[in-house]
Amino acid sequence: MKTVTLIRVIPVLVVLMAVSSIAPAQGFTQKQTAESTMPEMATYYSVKEYSKSIQELRNTISLNLENVPITNALIQIAQKAELEIAFDSKSFNEDDLISIENNAISVGDALELVLIDTGFESVITLRGEILLKEKQPESVEVADLDIDISGRVTDAETNEPIMGVTVFVVGTQTGTNTDSDGRFTLTIPDDSETLAFSFIGYVRQEITIGDQTEFDIQLATDIALLDDVVVVGYGVQRRTEVTGAVSSIRAEAIQGTPVSSFENALQGRLAGVNVAESTGEPGSAPQITIRGVGSISAGNEPLYVIDGVPISQNSNLQQNVGSQNSNFSATLVNPLATLNPNDIESIEVLKDASAAAIYGSRGSNGVILITTKRGRRESAPMINFRSYVGVNSAFNTPELMNAEELIAYTKDSRNNTYLRQQDPTNPNSAFFNPQYNPDTNAGREASGATGNHLIPEAYVNWDGTDTDWLDLVLDTSILQNYDMNVSGGGENFTYFVGGGFMDQTGIIDGSAFNRYSLNTNLTADISERFQVGLGLNAAFTTHDRKSANAPYFGNPPGIIYSALTQSPVVSPFNADGTYRQLEGSHNDLGGATTTTNHPLAVRDFIDERVNNNRVFGNIFGTYQLMDNLQFKSLLGYDIDNYQRSFYQGTQFFYRGGAPRPYAESSSAQGFNWLWENTMNYQTTLGEDHRLNAIVGFTAQKQNDERNRVIAQNFPDDQVKTVNGGQITGGDQLIEEWSLVSYLARINYVFKDRYLLTGTIRSDRSSRFGPNNQTGVFPSGSLGWLMTNESFMQDQTIFNEIKPRVSYGVTGNFLIPNYGSIGLISSSNYVFSDQLVSAAVPSTLGNAALTWETTHQFNIGLDYAMLEDRIYGSFDYYVSKTTDLLLEVNIPAVTGFTRALTNIGEVENSGFEIQVTSRNMVGEFQWSTDFNFSTNKNEVLALGPEGDAILVPGAAGVRHITEIGSPIGSYYGHRVIGIFNTQEEINNAPVDRLGTPTPGDFQFEDVNGDGVIDNNDRTLIGDYHPDYAWGITNRFNYKNVDFSFFFQGVEGRDVLNLTSRHLRNGEANFSSYAIVNNRWRSPSDPGNGIDPKAERASGGNNNRPSSYQVEDGSYIKLKTISLGYTLPQQLISNFARNVRLYATVTNVAIWTDYIGFNPEVNLSQSSGLTPGEDYGAYPLSRAFQVGIDISF
Amino acid sequence: MNKLKTLLLVIPVMIMVVSCGEDFTILAPQSERNVENFYRTDTDFLTAINGAYAGLASNNAYGRNYVLLHEMRSDNTSNGGGATGLAESLERITLFEELPSAGELERTWATAYSTIARTNTILDRIGNAELDNAALGERIRGEALFIRSLMYYNLAITFGNIPLQLEEVTSPEVEITQVSAGDVYAQIAGDLSTAEGLLAASYSGDNIGRATKGAAATLLGLVELTAGNKAQAATALQRVVDSNQYNLVPNYSDIWGVSNENNVESIFEIQYKSGGAGTGSGFTEYYSPDLSESGGVGGGNVPQAVNDETLTIFEGDDERGMGGSFGLTEADAEYLSKYDANQPNPFDSDANFIVFRYSDVLLMLAEAVGESAQGWGLINQVRQRAGLTVDAQTLPGTYNEILLLERRREFVGENKRWPDLKRFGVAQSVMADFLADEGKSESDIRLLYPIPQRELDSAPGRLNQNPL
Repeated sequence: MKTVTLIRVIPVLVVLMAVSSIAPAQGFTQKQTAESTMPEMATYYSVKEYSKSIQELRNTISLNLENVPITNALIQIAQKAELEIAFDSKSFNEDDLISIENNAISVGDALELVLIDTGFESVITLRGEILLKEKQPESVEVADLDIDISGRVTDAETNEPIMGVTVFVVGTQTGTNTDSDGRFTLTIPDDSETLAFSFIGYVRQEITIGDQTEFDIQLATDIALLDDVVVVGYGVQRRTEVTGAVSSIRAEAIQGTPVSSFENALQGRLAGVNVAESTGEPGSAPQITIRGVGSISAGNEPLYVIDGVPISQNSNLQQNVGSQNSNFSATLVNPLATLNPNDIESIEVLKDASAAAIYGSRGSNGVILITTKRGRRESAPMINFRSYVGVNSAFNTPELMNAEELIAYTKDSRNNTYLRQQDPTNPNSAFFNPQYNPDTNAGREASGATGNHLIPEAYVNWDGTDTDWLDLVLDTSILQNYDMNVSGGGENFTYFVGGGFMDQTGIIDGSAFNRYSLNTNLTADISERFQVGLGLNAAFTTHDRKSANAPYFGNPPGIIYSALTQSPVVSPFNADGTYRQLEGSHNDLGGATTTTNHPLAVRDFIDERVNNNRVFGNIFGTYQLMDNLQFKSLLGYDIDNYQRSFYQGTQFFYRGGAPRPYAESSSAQGFNWLWENTMNYQTTLGEDHRLNAIVGFTAQKQNDERNRVIAQNFPDDQVKTVNGGQITGGDQLIEEWSLVSYLARINYVFKDRYLLTGTIRSDRSSRFGPNNQTGVFPSGSLGWLMTNESFMQDQTIFNEIKPRVSYGVTGNFLIPNYGSIGLISSSNYVFSDQLVSAAVPSTLGNAALTWETTHQFNIGLDYAMLEDRIYGSFDYYVSKTTDLLLEVNIPAVTGFTRALTNIGEVENSGFEIQVTSRNMVGEFQWSTDFNFSTNKNEVLALGPEGDAILVPGAAGVRHITEIGSPIGSYYGHRVIGIFNTQEEINNAPVDRLGTPTPGDFQFEDVNGDGVIDNNDRTLIGDYHPDYAWGITNRFNYKNVDFSFFFQGVEGRDVLNLTSRHLRNGEANFSSYAIVNNRWRSPSDPGNGIDPKAERASGGNNNRPSSYQVEDGSYIKLKTISLGYTLPQQLISNFARNVRLYATVTNVAIWTDYIGFNPEVNLSQSSGLTPGEDYGAYPLSRAFQVGIDISF
Repeated sequence: MNKLKTLLLVIPVMIMVVSCGEDFTILAPQSERNVENFYRTDTDFLTAINGAYAGLASNNAYGRNYVLLHEMRSDNTSNGGGATGLAESLERITLFEELPSAGELERTWATAYSTIARTNTILDRIGNAELDNAALGERIRGEALFIRSLMYYNLAITFGNIPLQLEEVTSPEVEITQVSAGDVYAQIAGDLSTAEGLLAASYSGDNIGRATKGAAATLLGLVELTAGNKAQAATALQRVVDSNQYNLVPNYSDIWGVSNENNVESIFEIQYKSGGAGTGSGFTEYYSPDLSESGGVGGGNVPQAVNDETLTIFEGDDERGMGGSFGLTEADAEYLSKYDANQPNPFDSDANFIVFRYSDVLLMLAEAVGESAQGWGLINQVRQRAGLTVDAQTLPGTYNEILLLERRREFVGENKRWPDLKRFGVAQSVMADFLADEGKSESDIRLLYPIPQRELDSAPGRLNQNPL
């Protein structure tokens, strides 16, 4: 009796295997059925080689054969597999009996097993027919036969034998396959040098033979290999036949990096997918843009589709603290952080219009398809447990002045102003004072010195205090994560249940992120043709937030920026240990220093917590109407709940003022349902045509409701909820949107070489004006599998070459729900000292409002070469977005200052390169993944007159969006140097915006009119990187694996608004250490970048200029990981596999940016004012150790 | 079997098609009113006119910006100097160097026009609405005309030549025509006459604070004075006097303070109430030097100190000096105390702002009738209330000089000084003297503020900028 052990199935791209095997073979056995007359040129696939890649062969069946003839066994297999079979029953001896007992064997394996001792092997045709073919006699070169070798091949991870591994001598025809026990024997010429072991799904291994005759080979699974099928919208497609630009990443790749949400793991991994970690706040969302920013005022985030259900970001459900300036609102808690990364099976990114057009009006920004894990049919329960713990600490902390440096700088600044304005050293000056001493205030006030001229007392008589404020607020923190899942399946059901718990504390004490998650996927066959399934993902997350995304004057203020601004000269604590917020604090320094906030008081006396419950999933049924026609109905749902509370306590003295206790409580719920009905039809016409078509009809609706209560005047901190104070305000908002769509797609393959995909979707959305509610989004793409052409058969370099081209139209519907309707909002007025309600029109309607439309052209090439040692893709795209939704400035005479209109065009174009190279194979393995992408963003048209859009960001107008430049470019004066002498100033164009003296900036006279004024403002950089790249190197040696990952962007600029205070020469705060290299005198001009110190610069050095724009390019050693898989003998008693690992994230960064994080982006919601740094939660470096166990 | 298949397919699709008809994607806002279904009932129009009042109260109008543009601009206040950052743009206003791009100008202009748009919509739509209470409709028309006129007056004295939009706008594409300030005055003089006929003489109960006949007549008087039509101004102002609705409060200091709001002297007063509902006033913050006790920031970026010279303009016993208009801080510094009030949050005070009060009517009437026994009598009436016994006629200076000085004493901190200087034709000479230390001469003194750059840019070629 043969018992078969199932080989771990790793889906693999099979055409990458030997192309030659596709050549038509001779020697069919006689056909049994009349209709299956195969022409001579029929294309078929060897079952042995393709058993892992053809779905029909991967399907598992249950066999219970005991001593049955081979003929019967074959027929049974064919019946259970629902495949046609054709063979001559006389080929087999009736007495050859076979036994197979396995309730989950794949069809391919079963066929292999049955035929293993016969003279036949099986092949499968494109129609799914099994044919038998005489085995090719093994090439025997008698003369050279010399050595007999033997060995066994096992899976490095599971230690299970691998059947069917090709063992051959490199450079010869000599080879064999391993048997079901993984064993092989081979006779090889004595001059053989290298033995190769190759099997689909495993890293190919080469061994120098030498004197060895017995080989014990462990093959490592090749996680880098491509999937054979990829998930595309509304279905799956063989990767070889995909003609759009689709990038995939497998679960293993993202789970290698411990992250709180999967998006973080995507950074630097996929060409064209830009992930920016602009904040290090636990549980906050990184920003993802796919192929550049195509929209100005509508959203730029991609559409996320989880298990077929488009999920809304619902960022409008997260409310901001009402007292906060909207520019400084906290970074969004990540709405997708409710999804446990360990529950994800694969992620596909649809980048071009051909791939994304099936999502119509939501496809413009790209689509990210997430497939969660599910159980496999007929497989024993598999339990996986993963856990890691880690320690975080602040990463890339900027250098600030110490107390002595700041004292010198401050004195310098006061003295320079005093000398310039009132010159006490000049005997002819009314303010002449021989007592003038640059280090003290002696006689200054008596000589007319004002606040700007006085040196703070604490600086004159320094008591030695040198506080490191950043060190006070930045702690180390702990991260822990536990996941467990169970999966498996029976004859007609599958199950997956996964649970996880994550607890992450932030490097600012008191901030934290917690997640409890549950993911379930079930399927069941009700009948042979009727299948139902259910997916449920439920999570509860809590975010303890500390205000960080704001400057010191935000309300609440930012902790980081408050710490940056505090003078090191003051002590943080009063004698009794309380926080020094009043006397003796920075606010008490005098000398016209600006008031700021005590960062520890901000941290400890202001609390915010956001709880997010989210449940989403789907229920579906499929019905096989005919053999090739399937109907599917899917009901998707998404319930998203937020509960937020904020409390600013009575002990917090805002900038030294009186406490203003303030609390908010808000809650919100979003409910989204989707109903989708699709019909899928597959057919093969003759030998040359294959067709797969889908049509569908979907409806989706979202209801949002949120409310908020505000309270003030808390007498004490005993009750921190709104009822502890006086309720002073509140609001409630209910909103809805709906979408009705028809969709269709056809995939057509001709002669396995010529590929065509066409899609069309029509969307009708409530968000658009009644005159313009329906949009149609078509796309088409072509591909050519060149390597399947006969003329390519003789070359051995390329396994695959597939040029492809696509063109399509997508839309962007991320605009306000009621943008087309003139709204009236509520206000208040007072009569007789009582509030009365008032109504005020708040928007001007626009009945013609419609989507932004993106036309994208993509040309690309997929390739694989040198037996898959190198594979990847190239792409070039141009996408043009028209009908840009734009809040244009309109004359205020209308009663409104802005109106939403469809005006303007933006173009994005770029190259993408993705390469995977397996540099070394064998016992020591080394592979490299590399990706590189460029993007050029250019505005082509704007507004009715093409006028540039100047938008005030967090510090006035510093951004411009104008034709010919990238969206949201920085705008201001360009510094061309520092005036060294008065003579230089006299010879330079007159500066109308200041009166520079030596040591002040010289600004460029851009328009050459001889004066420097507002007309000389110009483009001084932009946030969009010119290119981005990532490179991962993985090494494997025996049980040890090691990888490191570099990632970077080039050509990104950051608008460092913190320079307005920490690098402005005024010395009214602490300062970046770089200002130590400032201009001091013509003979000591410093670094040539930083101007002189002056409390009240006559040259207006602090005006918006290129001085505040810094190069944000960086190279980051993002991850180093070292893992060890315990030897099988140690764990065989209790576990299948145990891997221990240690990972360091954010190891090192190389950048010229002087702040914390060159990826910073204050106003994440605005595409028009990107790239501002006004204080942000720093990124952290994480040391983690973890364990993965499977049972 | 085939039937079942068909059913399985057809039923869901049928249900979907039915449930997702055209209406499925026609969704109206639920928690916001919208233009299509509003402006129908009495209540709609009442809340709409309240919204127009809220425009007057905005921080970009009487709540804050008019302090900057009409008081801080004048010689009543001084700036500390050496302003940086945000305060710099305020300092520029005091030095007549404000930039067309200044946010204060942009927002003042935009808020004035959005308030005007609110009244335009009411005026356009109220005629077609069938109101239950026709008299209420008439009153609301009067209030709308008054508010629109008050906004146009403020726009005209601030910016001079401005677009005159008198109808509701429903599309961003609007024709803009700039007219002279004189045309504006002519239009609003007519509107105010109409309004005066529609408005109530006084209010009681829940309506105290709405525009009255007296308010319309007072504004009409001011507009006619500004337009140079003294006779018409005198007629209008005399109607206010003759209405017997108003009187001087016996003690000057009793005009002020939250407990004295809407008193017998008050003709039109912007109503404020603190508490975070967006109905508090911003100007308390500008004058009170140390609001930290009441929760304000105090000082901060606002260089709004009444200057030393202003403190010296009062004759001996003038009750309008210390104790009347001014108080002392704990640090014994003098500050303008007219707007002392509870302020739980920055720019959120209980203090009302008095746009017109009876002494203004008396002094404007004196201005309208010119030097005469009646004129001197009116001036003396105001002086006597302030505790001054010396007959104004015996004071040095011309009638107009004495009248202007009296107005300065009476209305310090009430946003009247800059319009007064302009109306009396002495703005450039007075301000050039005042700013001599800053090197300013008469030609540097702009009589009009620049039209906001944003407006010039958003309607290219339609607006001419004022002299810079």
